Amino acid sequence: MNQEKAVLKIYRYNPEVDKEPYYREYEVPVDKAQTLLDALFYIQENLDPSLSFRFFCRSAVCGSCAMKVNGISRLACKTPFKNLVENSQGRPIVVEPINFLPVIKDLVVDHDPAFNSLKELGTWLEPKKPIPEKEYRVPPEEVKQYEHPTNCILCFACYGSCEAVMDDPKYAGPYAFSRVYRYVLDSRNDEEHKKEMVKKAMEVGDIWSCVQCQKCIYVCPKGVRPAEDIQNVRGIAAEYGFKDYPGVKKLQHFVDWIYATGQINRLALPEEVYGVDPTPLINKFRERGAEVWEVPKPLPGLLEFRDLILEVMKEKKPHLDIDFHHVRKIDKRVEEVFKADVCTKVTQHFEEKKESFFQRFWKKLGEFFGTS
Amino acid sequence: MLEYDILIVGAGGAGLYAALWASQNPNLKVGVMTKVYPTRSHTGAAEGGINAALGNVAPDNPEKHAFDTVKGSDYLADQDAVEIMTQLGPQIIYDIEHRGVPFSRLEDGRIAQRPFGGASFPRTCYAADRTGLVILHTLFDQALKQGVEFLNEWFLLNIIHNGERVLGVTAWDIRNGGVHFIKAKAVILATGGHARMYWNRTSNALGNTGDGTAAVLRAGLPLKDMEFVQFHPTGLRKTGILITEGARGEGGYLINKDGERFMKKYAPEKMELAPRDIVARSIEREILEGRGCGPEGDYICLDLRHLGEKKLMERLPQTVEHARVYEGVDPVKEPIPIRPTAHYSMGGIDTDKYGQTEIKGLYAAGEAACISVHGANRLGGNSLLDILVFGKIAAEHAAEYVAGVEHLPTEGSEYVKKEEEFIKSLMNKEANENLSKLRKEMGDIMASKVGIFREEKPMVEALNKIRELKERAQKGLAVVDTSKKFNVNLIQTLEFLNLLDLAEVTALCAIERKESRGAHYRLDYPQRDDENFLKHSIVRKNEDGSLSHGWKEVVITKWQPQERKY
Repeated sequence: MNQEKAVLKIYRYNPEVDKEPYYREYEVPVDKAQTLLDALFYIQENLDPSLSFRFFCRSAVCGSCAMKVNGISRLACKTPFKNLVENSQGRPIVVEPINFLPVIKDLVVDHDPAFNSLKELGTWLEPKKPIPEKEYRVPPEEVKQYEHPTNCILCFACYGSCEAVMDDPKYAGPYAFSRVYRYVLDSRNDEEHKKEMVKKAMEVGDIWSCVQCQKCIYVCPKGVRPAEDIQNVRGIAAEYGFKDYPGVKKLQHFVDWIYATGQINRLALPEEVYGVDPTPLINKFRERGAEVWEVPKPLPGLLEFRDLILEVMKEKKPHLDIDFHHVRKIDKRVEEVFKADVCTKVTQHFEEKKESFFQRFWKKLGEFFGTS
Repeated sequence: MLEYDILIVGAGGAGLYAALWASQNPNLKVGVMTKVYPTRSHTGAAEGGINAALGNVAPDNPEKHAFDTVKGSDYLADQDAVEIMTQLGPQIIYDIEHRGVPFSRLEDGRIAQRPFGGASFPRTCYAADRTGLVILHTLFDQALKQGVEFLNEWFLLNIIHNGERVLGVTAWDIRNGGVHFIKAKAVILATGGHARMYWNRTSNALGNTGDGTAAVLRAGLPLKDMEFVQFHPTGLRKTGILITEGARGEGGYLINKDGERFMKKYAPEKMELAPRDIVARSIEREILEGRGCGPEGDYICLDLRHLGEKKLMERLPQTVEHARVYEGVDPVKEPIPIRPTAHYSMGGIDTDKYGQTEIKGLYAAGEAACISVHGANRLGGNSLLDILVFGKIAAEHAAEYVAGVEHLPTEGSEYVKKEEEFIKSLMNKEANENLSKLRKEMGDIMASKVGIFREEKPMVEALNKIRELKERAQKGLAVVDTSKKFNVNLIQTLEFLNLLDLAEVTALCAIERKESRGAHYRLDYPQRDDENFLKHSIVRKNEDGSLSHGWKEVVITKWQPQERKY
């Protein structure tokens, strides 16, 4: 019989009696528990019946038992205990409630705010009219597209790991945007309702706050990929023509400036996205002796490059079109700054550098448009 | 005081669907109370699918669906109710499809259907292997849309009625602690099944403890066909977690300790793919006759190794994961230890075909209810249909009923006081018994004596032992955590007491039914006996706590009982 024991260091807090949270250590025989959830039951049944945590299905479909284990959000019922013990290498296994939701008691957090976000964003189907007598016809490929997001069990492991939630309490959370994406993809959904949902994702849910750290993908116990879904919803927002949002403006900036000059222009970003005059910023740079280009130096071979971009955009069908009106303005500024015609200036040296130029920009373009 | 026109208890498929239909009338105040959060409910664990005669793949009609269901039930289902269910089937599927359920599709975009055990045609609509999950979540999203009011994490204590009409329920607010009386003109119980009475030998969630069913029993109202519990052949040995039938469908072998594919003795043609009840009985027989595997000889091996890692990972990824995580066994390298696992409660709260009990305004739907559409044996894919059809019917019936009645004058303080005293008595008791030990004893007794093979003597022993357990619990089982907020110990104790009551009823009904029918298999009465037992068993609790057992006619419309052969 294996008598090996592991130490669990568990977050305890009962607001009825405790002034503040504390940690208590428990010893659990390793062979008494298949999963971390079993280990918690062992504690509850043998050592301390007052330990509170949520559980229900014990087979990773109900989403009740998400908690923080050695700093990472996990489902207790899907965490093999032996592996956990081995990976902890003799250190206590630290078990805490997931982040960012108010603690009710011990490992139990208040899920209400997380569920309420779904209600606020309107993540549901408004059947598109006319409603058919039988079923809507939906191609199998479409159903496949929302296979990932419909795997979500609302355990909120992603919410508890989210960098954006940490900085922006208004941010609805990765799971919520996966659900927005799922219902936006659904051809049975009313178009106006979809737009409304995406609008709310921006206005109520702050979807542009996501920093694409990808932690949500890493912690999801069901293989949902919220960070990718968020990118897609952002793109769809642009496609729907929601031009007046900072995130969409930023996208427009990327598309137009890269087309016009081959690169983005960080100095123009504040002005184009938030309407902030960049002059003080530029002056500050100059005061400190930095070389500042108000527009990027035009690259050789720019016209060829522009053809390339158009080709790629045609193929990849990105969410945003180039705003040629804007591009002409950029051209004008380039010409002013460099006192030269943008087209002739940049085509001169093209022939010589053809190969490396092509290689570099194909790669960059692929990265940039690869999300759609 | 909380007050509703209609209070729905339970927020799985039946409860949520009832809520959607009941709250269509904006003048009605509808509340849904659940001891968890709605999306945690066990409907989400249903994998295979939902039956309806859409005829998308092969010509089909509701009448054929009804016949398959009746035959599958071993003729114990009420045929009028079965006909209602199968007639409404297609309409219900279209309704939830219009609400957003992402069904798997045929190439032409219509809903795909696949064959399932006991059905004559491919009739089972599905969404990959997570049909229940997407139905549950879609209904929840729709409930948010309709602004359904939820009481999350509230535990049902008792049903209050005056012998004629329901007045409401008493409940414990899990999050804050405290007893409340919730006044309601109508109450719909959608509290799920009770196969947890087999404790570690069940595929059910930890919370499938028959809280509504037990409350109905305590309220002096009848339960029906409680002896019928469906066992699934392949549950993991340690936990009872389900290993899908697909594992055998893909070519898995069942092996005893001698390495023999023993199914050749019991079903030489179909082998591992014989009907569920036959496979379950064969596995159990091997174990009982000493050919089980392992040091204790208490399990059988499901061998998938010959399928190879590639096929296993492609076709049965969930099975591989479950075996690794929950059994600590890698199916690529080792056989999986399995044993039949209690899966579904055919019996439950006695209702008519509208979900009504004998108390006006008190309804039941879903696995908690016994209408009965499953009789002695449920067909795969019929439970998801059952919960939706009868959730809707109960809601519509209740909505009509409450429109015509007023609330009865009651403050409920006396009921609250009584519950508070009861909970206090649990907390003040001297603790001489251990909850987890008693629970395990209950599970072991039920699994070994009122399980797959049944016989008079062991069942009488089981009944006596369950009654002993009840006494021991009464005397020495205390709630040791006396805090108010999120007191898991209290809830688990109340759930266990519910299971004990229902285990007693199950054992009693199993003793009284001296025949074999569907899931109820008696070694001492191996034949079906229509002359004496083509009827529902009925149990109610008397005021002194004793149980009365009786019988009720089965409704037969079109199909006279025949031998059940496949």
